[in-house]
Amino acid sequence: MMSTKASEQAAKKLGIMMTSRSSANGQTAKRLVIKNLKMVPRNDEDNFSRLWKNIDEAVRAIHESRPVSMSLEMLYQKINDPIDYLKLLNRHWQDHCAHMVMICQIFLPLDRGYVLNNPLILSIWDLGLDLFKNHIVMNKLVQTRCISGLLALIDSERGGELIDRSLVKNLLTMLYKLQLYQSIFESEFIKASDKLYSNEGETMLQSSDIPEYLKHVEKRLNEENNRLLHYLHPSTKHLLILCVEKNLIGDHVNTILQKGFDNLMDDHRLDDLKLLYNLLSRFVNGIDQLKTYFSQYIKKRGRDIVINPEKDVVMIQELLDFKERLDAISECWNNNEKFTHALKDSFEHFINQRSNKPAELIAKYIDNKLKAGNKEATEEELDKILDKIMVLFRFIHGKDVFEAFYKKDLAKRLLLGKSASVDAEKSMLSKLKQECGGVFTFKLEGMFKDMELSKDIMSAFDQQLTVKTSINLFVNVLTLTHWPSYPIYNIILPPEMTQLQERFLEFYKKKYSGRNLQWQPSLGHCLVKGHISSGNNKEFHVSLYQALILLLFNNKDEVPYEEILESTKIEESELKRTLQSLACGKVSILIKSSKGVDIHLDDVFSFNHTFTHKLNRIKINQVQLKETQEENQATNEKVFQDRQYQVDAAIVRIMKMRKSLQHNLLVSEVVGQLKFSIKPADIKKRIESLIERDYLARDEQNPNQYNYLA
Amino acid sequence: MKVTIKGYTGVAVWKWVANDDTCGICRMPFDSCCNDCKYPGDDCPLVWGQCSHCFHMHCIMKWVNGHQKSNQSCPMCRQAWKIKEK
Repeated sequence: MMSTKASEQAAKKLGIMMTSRSSANGQTAKRLVIKNLKMVPRNDEDNFSRLWKNIDEAVRAIHESRPVSMSLEMLYQKINDPIDYLKLLNRHWQDHCAHMVMICQIFLPLDRGYVLNNPLILSIWDLGLDLFKNHIVMNKLVQTRCISGLLALIDSERGGELIDRSLVKNLLTMLYKLQLYQSIFESEFIKASDKLYSNEGETMLQSSDIPEYLKHVEKRLNEENNRLLHYLHPSTKHLLILCVEKNLIGDHVNTILQKGFDNLMDDHRLDDLKLLYNLLSRFVNGIDQLKTYFSQYIKKRGRDIVINPEKDVVMIQELLDFKERLDAISECWNNNEKFTHALKDSFEHFINQRSNKPAELIAKYIDNKLKAGNKEATEEELDKILDKIMVLFRFIHGKDVFEAFYKKDLAKRLLLGKSASVDAEKSMLSKLKQECGGVFTFKLEGMFKDMELSKDIMSAFDQQLTVKTSINLFVNVLTLTHWPSYPIYNIILPPEMTQLQERFLEFYKKKYSGRNLQWQPSLGHCLVKGHISSGNNKEFHVSLYQALILLLFNNKDEVPYEEILESTKIEESELKRTLQSLACGKVSILIKSSKGVDIHLDDVFSFNHTFTHKLNRIKINQVQLKETQEENQATNEKVFQDRQYQVDAAIVRIMKMRKSLQHNLLVSEVVGQLKFSIKPADIKKRIESLIERDYLARDEQNPNQYNYLA
Repeated sequence: MKVTIKGYTGVAVWKWVANDDTCGICRMPFDSCCNDCKYPGDDCPLVWGQCSHCFHMHCIMKWVNGHQKSNQSCPMCRQAWKIKEK
């Protein structure tokens, strides 16, 4: 039961209600509304009741033709205030509900005993709702003011003001209970939201940058969800969220991506990218668009890294960094597979835009790492680096270019003892094997085999020596096809070395009948003991050429260039390089008569008697820079020669299938089949060569057409 | 000044001493191996006939085994095939 005070209050309200109800029943609804309008309170309950009293009094006074105590204009304003109006309406509704509850309780037996058995008759509660709906809310004026008031309130909340949420909630619940929510509120509400957000989307995009915009959209979505939680009916959710998304994102996908995507990527703003993905993923084509921009971005930035020859030195490191950055970003795409594929495709696309060079530089990069070895990184770190570089390698089309350079560098590492770790070399080899198969690596494996076999041969050789030689000999015996080809020079060795070589040759021929050995002096190196002055003894780790030159100074202190050339017969460019390393390098054990780095024909070299060095064992490096360019070109040419066979095979394959084909069509088909890029002029040369060899013939009528000859 | 060489690490490439560059049977260069092998050298040796022609051992054995005993001749010169012992 209600407390005494509550029942008193309820009774008082009921009285008021009864008046209004009776007038509603007996007179026009309009009058009822006017009466309602009189009862608008301001902010709080007290205020409201005071106002109510005033209005009540004023209306009674008007009816009874008495003078009104308050200013009519003020009353009008009070009543016209939308919030007060809503409060008034709410109060009526609350009162009505409270009264109806009481009436229901009083007429409980009627409800139970009569209404329940007659389905056609509404229950007292429903009847009450029905009356309220028909007489109050369905009234045009009430309805318009109610809806516009609500929309204005929500609008001001969207504008950042605090509003009385419970008021809105109560009124919306009322509308829902009266089954008017959808028909009179929802459509208007969505229309208003649509208008607001479409405006906001346009203007915000103009005025703010993308990260800010995205954050704003997220904020808006949160707010709307909050609204749904607090006062809107859940059934509105779908329409409302769709409206926000469509107006703020869906309509502007392209603009957003165009304006902001590259910057977000450049600045590596992972959170914003993630947000972007989440927002765009709500649209069917949003993700696809994002993916397209992602691909374009990779291609664009990647091309910048690859295409500029001046940046070759840092290309590989930049590619590695770029890849790492992109991998980190893939988390933002929820590890979506589409993006992983896009990443791969785009990487492959740009890295092959510059033919051959990236492949060469990857080989060089690996060479550097394997030379430096554990000095720079631990074994595990090195292995990780190699794994990363393999990822780049995977994208490269011209794997043959890589192989050629890798082979050349590997040969140097093995023969000159520059490889830092055999384990690392082997692990690299197995990675390559895994990636490209045994055919790709078997020559490289052959190189390692040769190295091991050489060790066996040498231990056998040492065993059969009866007297130990003054020079400790080791020979790396190479199998021609496994190694890069080196030019052969005949040079003059000192007699004891020639003798030693001959002894080894004899031994080798006995062990392996039917074979001969070709010495490669350019790859030999020596350990040389140098007595510079009394008490100043050093050991030099030098190339064979360097050793030969140093030996000349055993007899004389000064040797002119011409004489060095005569007595060693080292090829001139090599000789100059070697002399530079001895006289102009960091460790200058010889003194050149002329100044500067260049070697002149009339230069005279003398021994540097004052030579000192803090180490006892000194390694004198070859001057190499100048040579690399030629070597480089030679390697590239070698690769191209190997490729000719592939071109020939492709042409024959196509012609065998087509029987006869126009020149242009043939060229384009060949280009399509080949994994590497090739100039049409080169293809033409191959076609001509095939015609010469009777694989193809020109058509007699049409010289532009070729026929396949079976 | 006096320098002496203590150690010499030389590099040499081995080659077959053959009177031709390629094997007359498989047409592969002698410096590489026959079609069935991977690594030239001991895995795929050459043999010389008394007629002075030489082939990959695997190639000539296939050839010889494909013919009757009475008809085993060198594919290059048709003389009876006999391996020249060294």
